[in-house]
Amino acid sequence: MGKVVEEVKQYLPRADALVVNDGSSDHTSEKAEASGAIVLNLPFNLGIGGAMQAGYLYAHEKGYDIAIQVDGDGQHNPKEIPKLLQTLVEREVDMVIGSRFIGDSKFKSSMMRRVGISIFSRVISLIVGQKITDPTSGFRAASHRTIRLFAFDYPQDYPEPEVLVLLHQCGLKVAEVPIGMSKRYAGESSITKLRSIYYMVKVLLAIFVDCFKKHSF
Amino acid sequence: MLIKIQLFIGTLSIILLFITFELIRKKKLREEYSLLWLFTGAVILIFSIWPEYFLSRFFSQITGIFYLSAVVLLAFLFLLLIVFHFSVVISKLTDRNKELAQRHALLELEFREFRNSHPHSQNPSNQNG
Repeated sequence: MGKVVEEVKQYLPRADALVVNDGSSDHTSEKAEASGAIVLNLPFNLGIGGAMQAGYLYAHEKGYDIAIQVDGDGQHNPKEIPKLLQTLVEREVDMVIGSRFIGDSKFKSSMMRRVGISIFSRVISLIVGQKITDPTSGFRAASHRTIRLFAFDYPQDYPEPEVLVLLHQCGLKVAEVPIGMSKRYAGESSITKLRSIYYMVKVLLAIFVDCFKKHSF
Repeated sequence: MLIKIQLFIGTLSIILLFITFELIRKKKLREEYSLLWLFTGAVILIFSIWPEYFLSRFFSQITGIFYLSAVVLLAFLFLLLIVFHFSVVISKLTDRNKELAQRHALLELEFREFRNSHPHSQNPSNQNG
């Protein structure tokens, strides 16, 4: 955790790093704080959606123009952040996703996961009318408008793919850039092999329901 | 046979009504959640007092089912309604709970930062400052 923060600071010395601690009581948050991050401690576990939204709420209230979302386990290489930022500004989109499947990135994972991601990719691409190669990537950059939207409305259950539907419904633009992946420093993926089919059905159902949700943006 | 069922269901509905009423009186149950229970109890009570009129003639004629099955069906429908109502309430509470937790975390962070930037703030109980 501390290593991720240090690397982020190394590539973006002027940025503020916020670590959201989703109700965990181990010493991760202290380590993060020691490495120079601002730590937001949730009083109890809210799940990925609630924790992520807390981060965007912070960004919104402090008036940040751009927010970068990086996983804490070190699977995202902070070296790629400037690329995300550059795309966000140059192409004037509202969210940039770091995709593991564009270009020459050699991302290896289990068969099951690749199949799952490719199904999500097709479904999401169909809904939003734009090719999205990696809808489950949690490596993202969000514009000021997106931060404002997320502060008030953020999907709670499977935020990564669901966010894309939300952005599409609110008329915000999305772009993807290729990123290289590094091995996770710590932690397991939240998806185990046996549960992946069940997980996939649930996500598809959530995406389906999202298509009919009402938004006030 | 019918009178036994009548007595049983009648007593049950009176107990249900009584408990609901007591809980509202003691402020252990909010009125908005108890309305459905009161209504359920009242309807079952009416059915048990005048089964012929409400069920044998009216209800059975339009649905073609008999007394006991009619009562079971009705009770089931009410329970379904109540459980559904609870799902809506729980969803709302979960949402508010989430917002409260996020607000709590943001305020706590703000407070920590404030305390760190004002190490000599006059707070007699402040041990860390």
